[in-house]
Amino acid sequence: MSSNGAATTKITLTSSDGTDLSVDREVAERSVLIKNMLEDLGESGEAIPIPNVNAAVLSKVVEWCEHHRNDPPSNHDDDDSRRKATDIDEWDQKFMQVDQEMLFEIILAANYLDIKALLDVGCKTVANMIKGKSPEEIRKTFNIQNDFTPEEEDQIRRENEWAEE
Amino acid sequence: MTPRDSIPVTPSRRRPSSSMKGRPRTATSQQTDSKLSVWNGLFPEDVCEDDQDQVIEETNHFPDPVPRRRGAKSFSSLRHPVDGLRTLGRRLSVTIRHKSSRQPFQPLQSLQDPSPIEPTGHKNGAASGSRHTRSKSNYLDGRLFHRRPSANSVPPLQNFYTPTAPVPAPIPGNGLEPPILPDDICAGAAARAAAAAQNELARAERVTSHTSESKLTRDTESGIGIDLRDRSEISDADYDAVRMDPASCLPPEIMAHILSYLDPNSLMQSESVSRAWNEQASSRHVWRIVFRRAYGYHRSERMTSKTKQSNGLGKALPNQNWKGMFLVRRALEQRWRDGKAAAIYLHGHKDSVYCAQFDEHKIITGSRDRTIRVWDAHYPWECRKIIGPPPGDVPGIGPVNNSSQHASGKSPFITICPPSTKSAEIVTPIDLATDYHSASILCLQFDEELMVTGSSDYTCIMWDIKNDYKPIRRLWGHGAGVLDVCFDDRHIVSCSKDSSICVWDRNTGTLLKKLLGHSGPVNAVQLRGDLVVSASGDGVAKLWNIASGLCVKDFPSKDRGLACVEFSDDARTILTGGNDQVIYQFDANTGEMVNELKGHAGLVRSLHLDNANKRIVSGSYDTSVKVFDAESGELSIDLPGWTTSWMLSVKSDYRRIVATSQDSRTVIMDFGWALDGVDMLEE
Repeated sequence: MSSNGAATTKITLTSSDGTDLSVDREVAERSVLIKNMLEDLGESGEAIPIPNVNAAVLSKVVEWCEHHRNDPPSNHDDDDSRRKATDIDEWDQKFMQVDQEMLFEIILAANYLDIKALLDVGCKTVANMIKGKSPEEIRKTFNIQNDFTPEEEDQIRRENEWAEE
Repeated sequence: MTPRDSIPVTPSRRRPSSSMKGRPRTATSQQTDSKLSVWNGLFPEDVCEDDQDQVIEETNHFPDPVPRRRGAKSFSSLRHPVDGLRTLGRRLSVTIRHKSSRQPFQPLQSLQDPSPIEPTGHKNGAASGSRHTRSKSNYLDGRLFHRRPSANSVPPLQNFYTPTAPVPAPIPGNGLEPPILPDDICAGAAARAAAAAQNELARAERVTSHTSESKLTRDTESGIGIDLRDRSEISDADYDAVRMDPASCLPPEIMAHILSYLDPNSLMQSESVSRAWNEQASSRHVWRIVFRRAYGYHRSERMTSKTKQSNGLGKALPNQNWKGMFLVRRALEQRWRDGKAAAIYLHGHKDSVYCAQFDEHKIITGSRDRTIRVWDAHYPWECRKIIGPPPGDVPGIGPVNNSSQHASGKSPFITICPPSTKSAEIVTPIDLATDYHSASILCLQFDEELMVTGSSDYTCIMWDIKNDYKPIRRLWGHGAGVLDVCFDDRHIVSCSKDSSICVWDRNTGTLLKKLLGHSGPVNAVQLRGDLVVSASGDGVAKLWNIASGLCVKDFPSKDRGLACVEFSDDARTILTGGNDQVIYQFDANTGEMVNELKGHAGLVRSLHLDNANKRIVSGSYDTSVKVFDAESGELSIDLPGWTTSWMLSVKSDYRRIVATSQDSRTVIMDFGWALDGVDMLEE
């Protein structure tokens, strides 16, 4: 990762709704998308447009990157081990205490900006909202209409039962 | 009995007790014998006479590998109508719940709108607009009252959330109050609290949104999630404003990512949420991740020093039915919990079977009759190979187990005795007598390439598994019988009655080190990386460092000699068993004794630790095999009298225990016997 000298360089990100955010380069580079873009652009000093993320979400994402600026670079493990546990560190838990809309927007932004660790935390947060719930409770949590016919529902339940008692 | 005597390592004489316990022909066993019927050359035998909770098997189960159970069959014909009723009942109760949870609020809240839950239309912009139009009193009434019934449904979370309950919620949009965030709760709670808050408020919102909704006239599509306020201004009341279906607002790959964090049961629940969720949650990709995580798949653990036992995680085929495998695993776990296993007897050795190891394809056993036998691990469990002097054929099979002992534990729910193969057809022609052990085979281990055996003839032999078990070389170095052997990618470690431990180079066969320190025969060794743990008849287990050749720690038993030792894959836990009849569990780092596993009434002769399934399996001179929970140390299954004499070696994997006995038999205790789809789990 970059040294202390590079940390002072500021870059500007422009959100989809036209707001400029000034961010330490080191912080912005937690996004692989921005990092690659900066490598292509060189030191032009121009603002980088982030066309898919609005200012509210972008500032949340930057807040997360700021807090995690000193994290060790994520070792690019295989998918399976990334998905090991739904443990989330406490700061991230509080960070993710937002409404569902913002939560999903953060996940989408993390996916678009290619910030794997943030994507993981977001997805784990949603997974924790699903875990241990009945289908009806899940529907309530996310305001989902049950569009199964009784027969379909019955069939799914039968598939999931094990014949041997 | 002194520790030295207690381990049957002397090839020269037969123990008196063995002739006593050898093959007692009791009246009951004679009866059983006479009941044997020959079918397809096999001897299926029904021995579960008086165990009322056992499923009685028909004797001709072979033509149909899935046994028919009359009881189960009649039940299954009832299942569908019952299910239908259950569904109906559930649907009714859902309807009733909606009604009953809403109606009582009306007088309190002056809620005039009893209409059912709005369809998803309002969820985005409508909701964010609606929170501004809500009147404070209305909102609070709804929330405070509504919290009670909904809190019941999330009892574990209530504690985290209730502190915020008495705090009056701020009026959204005014931004005067900070958000109510749980500050002082322990790690891990915040996310759950957030999720709980979402649930609670989601429910509360069902009431409040109706009133506010009805007053809405403006365009509700305008405010899509642009929230320019600082996070500190957002009160938690805002959570309830937005409830969105992630399956519809996130792309499938992200939804799959989310679902892959679930446990199998939650994933199964997710399949029943809606059609869109069903499609996402039944994805093979998601099930693969969830299934493997649930059953301890770790790529890094693929190559532990310990010879690999199958984990029952199936093959990584592109079209593998991962969810089906989970259902089979779940049924298999239930069999283990119930202690319900079939007994398959491998008959052919002419004397005590001292050692065994198996994988999905083969079972290899070593015996006092100086031969090594390789058996097929599948029906009809033929003996494929005999390595050693031609043994001649064994006559009649005699009683296979000791049913008089079954009363105290679990007996086989079915007994299978495949016929023994004629030894002339499978014995390897002898080139040189020096190519074979000239005395009892006491121990063996194999991996995909190499097998190493140890014998009372003072030597070990390395065999080339890939080249039809051709002997590679003989390891000379011990001054007495080789009692146990183990190896990894680099080293072969053997221990002997001469109280020494030898460390050999696996590739060259060179003797690298001799570990000296025990004052009695070393009965067992295990190897993890540079660490070796040994158990001795002197009553002490020792931890050694191969690199230095020094003993690092001692683990004493309370009383007398140790016969066996196990070392967890992470090299942190050591188990020992012996004459004390208990299994000691030690912390390898601190040397502290952590637990004593009790239950055996005789010398604990053999131990196997299955890390992935958290099971400790032990075999004892009390003729029982027992299974302990590796975490709690509780006895979970007692399998007494499955053979007629001492249990000498036990090994287990996800579906079976293979135990060898002094009565010359090897028994497969197969918990997956005739379980539909269990073959899918083979690796």
